[in-house]
Amino acid sequence: MKELKVLEIKQNIFDDNNKEADKLRLSLKERKVFLLNLMSSPGSGKTTTLTRTIEKLKDSLRIGVMEADIDSDVDAKKIAELGVESIQLHTGGMCHLDADMTRQGLEGIGTNNLDLIVLENVGNLVCPAEFDTGAVKNAMILSVPEGHDKPLKYPLMFSICDVVLINKIDVMPYFDFDMEACKKYILQRNPNAVIIPISAKTGEGIERWTAWLKDQVNIWKS
Amino acid sequence: MHELGILSAMVKTIEKIAETEKLEKIEKIVLEVGELSGVVPSYLESCYPAAVYKTFMENTKLELKIVPGIAHCNECQEEFNAVECDLKCPKCGSQNLTALSGRDLLIKEIAGY
Repeated sequence: MKELKVLEIKQNIFDDNNKEADKLRLSLKERKVFLLNLMSSPGSGKTTTLTRTIEKLKDSLRIGVMEADIDSDVDAKKIAELGVESIQLHTGGMCHLDADMTRQGLEGIGTNNLDLIVLENVGNLVCPAEFDTGAVKNAMILSVPEGHDKPLKYPLMFSICDVVLINKIDVMPYFDFDMEACKKYILQRNPNAVIIPISAKTGEGIERWTAWLKDQVNIWKS
Repeated sequence: MHELGILSAMVKTIEKIAETEKLEKIEKIVLEVGELSGVVPSYLESCYPAAVYKTFMENTKLELKIVPGIAHCNECQEEFNAVECDLKCPKCGSQNLTALSGRDLLIKEIAGY
């Protein structure tokens, strides 16, 4: 009978996923394709923001969209109407996407003729923060009705985001939303976060956001 | 269910380790769960059987070791248990904190043949 071995490991639980994500990023760099992981709560305006973003950038960048959802293809249909490549990924009940699912999605959409691929993650502020998808940058949308204290409730999400869009600023007068407090809380979690207030509805702030994104794509491709 | 996805990720990580270490059968694993990692230990325990069902880790034992979430106050330099103090410095009330420990979820030990 073999002897029982006890191994001291001290390895992160997400180690396998993190390695897969790093591999994916490396291959995206070789292919000169920029992958953006877009996260938010349900109902924060992800699809509307994405629509605005595509309208602004589709003449200068070749864009693809991967819509992740537990089920349904409502969002993918909306995006396809804008005339960009789009596919729907079903997570089969899972509340997040991991690097392996993202890689499969990229195989599905095909990266040959694209500069920018946006991965619209499952609407959730907890699980997607734990799983590195292999994206080049992480973006999240926080909307005004959700409240300015969200960064305190979901610290991990805010600490992994490169850019935070504060959406629905057109309804600020109707909510007790403290913009300065919100920015302070985000920067406490992540001093390097870029914070851009926007209204996907009126278009306010979209220019600054798309300029940031375009810069990032160009830096990655150079 | 947040904890189920996390455990499924763990199974993949352990699969790779078992391959490298030439373990054919796993008896028990020990996880280190930080108080600030965002997972609830009792939920980890209750969904463990579902996460390992029909994997090579089925019927293995799970042991959890809790690591306290210690934070450092960036305003007054106080150090304290962040969970007990509700993520606020007990001395000055600031929420500008840096976590010193308890953020990680680690596979600490694997016992097997």
